[in-house]
Amino acid sequence: MSAELAQQIVNGLVVGGMYALIALGFTLVFGLLDKLNFAHGEVVTLAGFIAIFSVNMGLSIWLTIPVVIILTGAVGIIIELLSFRRFTSKEGHSVSALSSFALGIVILEMVRLQWGATPVQLDIPKSIYISGTVLFGAPIPWIKFAIFSISIFLMIALHLVMSRTKIGRSIRAVAEEPTSARLLGINTTLVTQYVFVIVSAMAGVAGLLIAMQNGIVTSDVGFTFALKGIAVMAIGGMGDMRGAIVAGLLVGVLEGIAFSIGWGGISDVIVWFLMILVLLIRPAGILGGGRQAETRV
Amino acid sequence: MTDSGPETNPPGTLDGTGKPVLEIDSLTKAFGGIQAIDGVSLTVNDGEILGIVGPNGAGKTVLINMVSGFYRPTSGSIRFNGQKIDGLPLHKVGRLGIARTFQNIRLFNRMTALENVLTAIKQHTTHPILAALAFAPSRQGIDEAMELLDLMGLTARANQGAGELPYGDARRLEIARALATKPKLLLLDEPAAGMNEQETGELIEDIRKVRNRLDAIALIEHDMTLIRALSDRIIAMNYGKIVAEGSSKEVLSHPEVVEAYLGTDEEEDG
Repeated sequence: MSAELAQQIVNGLVVGGMYALIALGFTLVFGLLDKLNFAHGEVVTLAGFIAIFSVNMGLSIWLTIPVVIILTGAVGIIIELLSFRRFTSKEGHSVSALSSFALGIVILEMVRLQWGATPVQLDIPKSIYISGTVLFGAPIPWIKFAIFSISIFLMIALHLVMSRTKIGRSIRAVAEEPTSARLLGINTTLVTQYVFVIVSAMAGVAGLLIAMQNGIVTSDVGFTFALKGIAVMAIGGMGDMRGAIVAGLLVGVLEGIAFSIGWGGISDVIVWFLMILVLLIRPAGILGGGRQAETRV
Repeated sequence: MTDSGPETNPPGTLDGTGKPVLEIDSLTKAFGGIQAIDGVSLTVNDGEILGIVGPNGAGKTVLINMVSGFYRPTSGSIRFNGQKIDGLPLHKVGRLGIARTFQNIRLFNRMTALENVLTAIKQHTTHPILAALAFAPSRQGIDEAMELLDLMGLTARANQGAGELPYGDARRLEIARALATKPKLLLLDEPAAGMNEQETGELIEDIRKVRNRLDAIALIEHDMTLIRALSDRIIAMNYGKIVAEGSSKEVLSHPEVVEAYLGTDEEEDG
């Protein structure tokens, strides 16, 4: 393996982990409510600036993690309340999409008012980008391993919450059969709130990780990553968590490979065309576990 | 048109106190111009299994849907152990102690049989946040869930996906899951639908096994074998009204019931 290819594959995995974190948010909300949350991406942006603010206040970058989780989790509650709670009719899907789209723009513009539209430096020691190890001849800074490990850790944590805890079982119950779940005493509103807190906090950590990787935060970062997150969600199968993780890493690596063979310019075309193909040929996603699987007879 | 009929089943013959568990008074439900329920009053008493029969479209399922909180009544009231429950959200109705099964079984097919029951088990910890975050359900919760699976003969199926269960087992699991909420009243909506004679026989035994865990059962069914075997009292409905009420013998031989409904069913029953 060439050093260039190894470098790009590692980069792809790191970026793919962040795609997966964001796509998990889309897919969880979609699995629960059949709705797309277009404010999701701006939580990523907001988190980056929360990180900048916290670091400027003197917190270490690692201590910003809980700050970001708490604040973006709270934003999740607001998103649910403003753009999802009330819209339960048949048209609710479109209304929530529109409302969350608008809310996303409001968040974005508020961020721009505060921090401007130009890139802002994240004030962390430059040394973390330099010290590292060598894999297949390519120098890889430790920070990439740290970022990737945090992504994987969050995915494992999410998996454990979903599979082992009462709230996880409730979320799965409401996602699959809301009527039965409610009759069994599960409060669907509360479950929906939990989900928005979880997915927003995950998007928040993703935003923080992106800021750490780039060393700067720009206000369009959420838009860029959320678009990719939507593609990853669709490729992974709408509502399929494992699919979102696999698709996230796959898309990241595909982009990396495209760059290493000089196809960087068309990497977006490749990803989005892949999404079109998956929707046509495998609508339930690459692992076949998405929502479409249930409606197809 | 209501035939209140002589009450031939003295409440004293049953396990319970005979006090009303569910009281429905002058209930109506209109969907647009269609009167789905037209002035129904009935009670389900402690200790009894009430059978509700009637042709398709008679309003039986609409009635159960109103009791379990799906629909708000157009007028009239529903009381459960004296408390007014019409208009309550579904999860509150569930928490008060009403459970149900569905005509088309509605399990969590992507979960195992055990997880289906665990989802419904009440918490043993007191703090809701601790309860939500508690890893691995408490030993007590798992024991309770396994006990219910044992009761329904599903021990060997505990870790199987609910979506893979054969029909009879899926129905048993739905009943086990309903029992996990520790309900006082169980509503069964055509539990024998789609079952053959042998499966129906097993279902009758299963329902007999669980009845002492409940205050009362209300049962909608077309299968007369099941209705005769289980009901302490029967209500017949047609066009959204009660047309007959009493013992199974009285109701099932009532001319209006025979005409509206049983004529065709008796042929099937052979």
